[in-house]
Amino acid sequence: MIQADAALISASSLFLAAAGLTLIFGAMRVINLAHGSFYMFGAFLTTSLVGLATGSRFWWAVPVAALGVAVMGGVVEVSTIRRVYGREHLTQLLATFALLLMFADVALWIWGAEYRTVPLPESMFGGIEIAGQLVPRYHAVIIGTAVAVGVGLWLLLRFTLLGWKIRAAVDDPESLEAGGVNLRALYTIVFALGAFLAGLGGAIISPQISVSPGLDLSIIVLAFIVTVIGGLGSVLGAAVGALLIGAAETLGTNIAPDMASTFPYLAMIAVLAVRPWGLFGVPER
Amino acid sequence: MLDTTRQQAVTVPRAATRRARAAGSAGIVALVVVLVGGLALLGAFLPVSRALVVENAIGLALFAVATNLLLGYGGLVSFGQAVFYGAGAYTVMLGWEHWGWSFWTGFALAPVVGAVLALVIGLLSLRTRQLYFALLTLAFTQLAFVLAQQQHEFTGGDNGVFGDVLPGWLADPRKGYMFTLGVATACAFVLWRIVTSPFGLTLRAIRENRDRVEALGVNVFRHQLVAFTISGAFCAIAGSLFVVHTKSAYPQLLEWTKSGEPILMAVIGGMFAFLGPAVGAFLYVLGQQELVQHTQHWQLILGAVLLAVVLLRPDGLAGLVTGGRWRRRPTAKEPEAGEEE
Amino acid sequence: MRVKQRGIFRLIGPSAAFALAAVLVMAGGSSAGQERRFAGSVNVGISTTLSGSIAQLGQGGLNGVQLAVEEINAKGGLLRKQVRVVSADDNATPATGSSNVRSMILDKKIRALFGPVSSAVAAAELQLTAEHKVPTFLHTSNDITLMTKRYTPYAFQVVPNTVMEPRAVAAFLKKHVTDRNLSVATFAPDYVFGRNTVTNFLQALKDLNVKFEVVNQQWPALGAPNIAPQLSSLIQSRPEVTFNVQFGGDLVNFTKQAAGFGFFKSTRIVAMYSLDPLTALAPNAPKGGIAYSRAPFWAIKTPEMTRFVTKYRQRYKEWPNEWAILAYTAVQSWAHAVQSTKSFNSDKVARFLPGKTVPTIRGPIKIRACDHQAEVPHYVSTIWDKPHPQVKVPLWSPVVFIAKPSQIMISCAESLKLRES
Repeated sequence: MIQADAALISASSLFLAAAGLTLIFGAMRVINLAHGSFYMFGAFLTTSLVGLATGSRFWWAVPVAALGVAVMGGVVEVSTIRRVYGREHLTQLLATFALLLMFADVALWIWGAEYRTVPLPESMFGGIEIAGQLVPRYHAVIIGTAVAVGVGLWLLLRFTLLGWKIRAAVDDPESLEAGGVNLRALYTIVFALGAFLAGLGGAIISPQISVSPGLDLSIIVLAFIVTVIGGLGSVLGAAVGALLIGAAETLGTNIAPDMASTFPYLAMIAVLAVRPWGLFGVPER
Repeated sequence: MLDTTRQQAVTVPRAATRRARAAGSAGIVALVVVLVGGLALLGAFLPVSRALVVENAIGLALFAVATNLLLGYGGLVSFGQAVFYGAGAYTVMLGWEHWGWSFWTGFALAPVVGAVLALVIGLLSLRTRQLYFALLTLAFTQLAFVLAQQQHEFTGGDNGVFGDVLPGWLADPRKGYMFTLGVATACAFVLWRIVTSPFGLTLRAIRENRDRVEALGVNVFRHQLVAFTISGAFCAIAGSLFVVHTKSAYPQLLEWTKSGEPILMAVIGGMFAFLGPAVGAFLYVLGQQELVQHTQHWQLILGAVLLAVVLLRPDGLAGLVTGGRWRRRPTAKEPEAGEEE
Repeated sequence: MRVKQRGIFRLIGPSAAFALAAVLVMAGGSSAGQERRFAGSVNVGISTTLSGSIAQLGQGGLNGVQLAVEEINAKGGLLRKQVRVVSADDNATPATGSSNVRSMILDKKIRALFGPVSSAVAAAELQLTAEHKVPTFLHTSNDITLMTKRYTPYAFQVVPNTVMEPRAVAAFLKKHVTDRNLSVATFAPDYVFGRNTVTNFLQALKDLNVKFEVVNQQWPALGAPNIAPQLSSLIQSRPEVTFNVQFGGDLVNFTKQAAGFGFFKSTRIVAMYSLDPLTALAPNAPKGGIAYSRAPFWAIKTPEMTRFVTKYRQRYKEWPNEWAILAYTAVQSWAHAVQSTKSFNSDKVARFLPGKTVPTIRGPIKIRACDHQAEVPHYVSTIWDKPHPQVKVPLWSPVVFIAKPSQIMISCAESLKLRES
C-alpha cells in the first residue's frame, strides 16, 4: 500500500511537470528546455512567500507562486519564443537551453546557492490510516492536485472555447488564423498556461523537497522522458507516462535498488523502439 | 529506364565530388598549414597552464567536428554523442586499470568501442525522427551516465578512474599538446574526405529531402547508420584525447549536458562550414575560461550570447563569412528550396 | 570557379576566429603572470561545493578558512606575507574540481589547498596536488581511501574518517540499545562516502558483538529531490534502528518526509543531526533521535572554542557549523607548519607535520605519522526536547558521548595494508 502511495506521489509530480510541456508542444510545436526552470521558480517563489509561517499562508502562496510563473511564461513567450516558431527543433532546443542558463543564474542571484525549505502547514501534520499504514496527509493534496489538473485540462480542451481553439491550433493553425482568431494571443495564453502548470507543480511539491539550484536540470530530463513516452502533444499520454515511470521507479527500488535509476531510461528506449512516436503521439507534420 | 536513371545518379555525384575536392587548391592547403602551424607554435611557446587550455579546446574541437558530421551534414540532431566521448575515455582508463593495457592499446581500441556502441544505439534510435530521435539519444546518454555511476565496482562510480596511464614522453604537457594537435588534425582530414565523398554528398541530400533520396533507391537508414557509426568512432577518439589532457575519466563525461556542448559549439561556430564547430569550440572554451574568472554570472552571459546567436545569426559566426543559408522546416505545403553547396 | 572561391572563404572565418582566440589566450596568459608577481602575499586555494543541497558544508568550510586567514593577516601575516584566499565552486563534480585546482595551482600558484565536500572530488584533486606538490588539507571529505589507497605525502586529514565515524556511532549504540537481535536498516547516498560508511558501520557492530540483522539498505543518489520510492521501501521493512548517512539538505528532506509517515515513532533514527539540520528542522526534529557530529561547538568546552564562536558570530552573524570549525583547524595546522619550518616550501611543510601536535580550537590535535590522519575524537548524543539557551533551537542532550581516537582509529599496520591493496 505504501508502495502504491510512493508510486502515485512520483507520478503526480512528474505529471505536473510534464503536462505543461506536452500542452505547449501540442499546440505550438515548440519544445521548451526551460520548462524545468518554471518548475524551479514555482518552488523558489513559494519558499519566499511562505517564509517560516506554518499557518494557512501556504494555501494562498501556492496559487500566487504559480500565477507569478505564468506571468514569467507570458513575458518569455512574447519576447523570445515568438521568434522560434516554425524553426528547426534544434533552434528551439538551443534557444530554450539559453533561457535555462539565464534563469538558473537569475535564481542564484535572487535566492542564493544554498537549499531552502518550505514548512508544511500545521493542518497537514499527521497522517491518514490506509490499510493499516500511516500515509502523510499532504500526499492526498499532491495526488489530488495532479488529478485536478488532469481533469481540468481535459474539461478545458473538450468543453471550452479556449480549449476548442487550442485543439484547432494543433490540427490546422492556418485555417484557424484565416477564420479570424488571433493566433499570437492564443499562443501566449497557451504558453502561460503551460508555465502556470509547471509553477504549480513546483509549488505543490516544495514542502517535500529541499529547494535548491539544480532542480531545473533534474526535473527536465524526467519530464522529457514522460512526455516522449506518452507522445508529444498528448496530455493523456503524459498522464500514462507519469504513472508508468512512477511505478517503474517504485518497483525498481524494491526489486533491484542498484539498478533503479536506469528504469526510466530503459522504459523510454523500450517504448520508442516499439512505437517511435510515443504511446499516443502522432507523426510530425 | 530505371537503370539509366540510376547510372546517371551515380555519375553526377562523382563530378560533384571532383568539384568539391577541387576546392582543395593551393590556397586552402596554405591556410590549413598556417592554422595548424599557428596552433603548434602556441603549444610550444605559451605558458603551460594556457597551453593546456588550448589543448582542451583542440580535443573538444574534434568532438564538435565529429558531431557535426551528423548535425550539419546529416541533419541528425543527436543529443547522445557524449556516450561515445565518455566511452573513448573510459576505454583507455578502464583497460589500463583492470587489465593492464598500455595507453596505446586503449587508444587504438577506443574508436572501435565507439563505433560498436554507435552501431547499437543507431540501430535502436534511427527509426525515430526529429525530436524523438534527439530525445531518445538523450535518454541513451543519461542511461550511460547512470550506469557509470552505479557500476562502481567496474567504473569507479562517481570517483571516476584516474592514474598514471600515459607513457613517459606523453606525460610531458607540451608533447601531449603536440600529440593532441596531430591526432585532431589527422582525424579532421579524414572527416573532410568523408564529407566530400559520394557518401558525404548523399548524406547531405538526405538532410535536404529524405523522401526524394529514398525514392531514388538509396537506403537512407543504412546511410544514416554508417554516418552515426563513423561519428561515434571519432567522438571516442576525442574522448581518448581527454585522457591525454587529464589522465582520468568521469561519469560526467557521459551526461546530457556534455552531449550538448558539441552542438552548442557547432551552432556558435557554424554548422554548415566544416571547421565551424572547431571555431565554436575555441570560442566556447576560451570564452568560458575568461568569463568564469571575471564574473560570477557567467551562465547569464553565456545564455545571452547563445540566445543572440541562435536568434540573430543562426548560421553561426562562420556563417557571417560564408553567407550560408537557413531554411524553415519543410512542411508539406512549402515547395523545396535551398541550394546545394 | 564558384566552388573554389567559397572554399577559401570558408576558411577565412575560422582563421579570423583562431587569431582572435590566440590573442585572448595571450592576454589571459600575461594577466596570470601579473597575478603571481604581487610581492608580499601568498595564495591559498579552496575548491568546494558552494551550490546545491550540500552547499552549507562548502560555504561553512569557506567561512572557516576565510576567518582563519583574516586573523592571520591581522597579526601581521604568515612569515610577514599576507595570505589571500582563492575560492571556486566545484558543483560536487570531480571534473570541475580538478580543473579548478589545476588552474589554482598553475595560474594562482597556491601554497596550500583546502579540501572539498565530496570525497569523490577529493580523490581527483589529490592526484593533481600530489603531482604538483601542494600541501592539501582535507576538512570535510573524509573517506578513508583518501588516506590509504590514495595516500600521498602531501595530503592531511583533520576530520574523523569513514571508519572512525561509524565506529563511534556503533559504540554509542552498543551502550544504549539493549542486547537483543536488532533489525537495522541503512539509508545512504550512493557514492564512495555513503557506501564505505555503511560497510564500516555494519563491521563495527559485528566487532562489538552486537546482535543484528540488516533488513533493508537504500542508496538514494546524492542530492536527489524525490526519495519517495526508497523511503516507502524503508518504512515497509520496519527497522528498529535506521542509520541514515545523508547530510545537509538531503537529511532535512528525508526527516520531513519520514516524519509525515510517523516513521520516527517506530524506529530509532541515527544521523548527522548537527547544527544546520537541527536549525532547519526545529521544532520538528525527531526527539530522542541519535545525533552525531564531527565538531559540535556546544560540546567542545575550551576557551579557544568560546572565543572562536564569538568571533565567528561577529563576522558572519550566525552560529558556526562543524564545517567552519574543521576548516579553521585545517588552516591552523598549515599555518603552524609554515611558522615552525619558517618556510612555505611544500616538502618542508609536508615533512614537518607527520607526528606533530598542532594547537587548535578543538584542542591539541596530533597528526599521525604513518597515514597523516589526525587523531581526533567523534561526538554522539541524542536530540534534546528543550531549546538550547543561546542557539534557541533544540540541539543535543547535555550528556555527550565522546569517542576517543584510540577507540575508533584503525592501527597503522591496518592502514598500511589498505594502502598496498
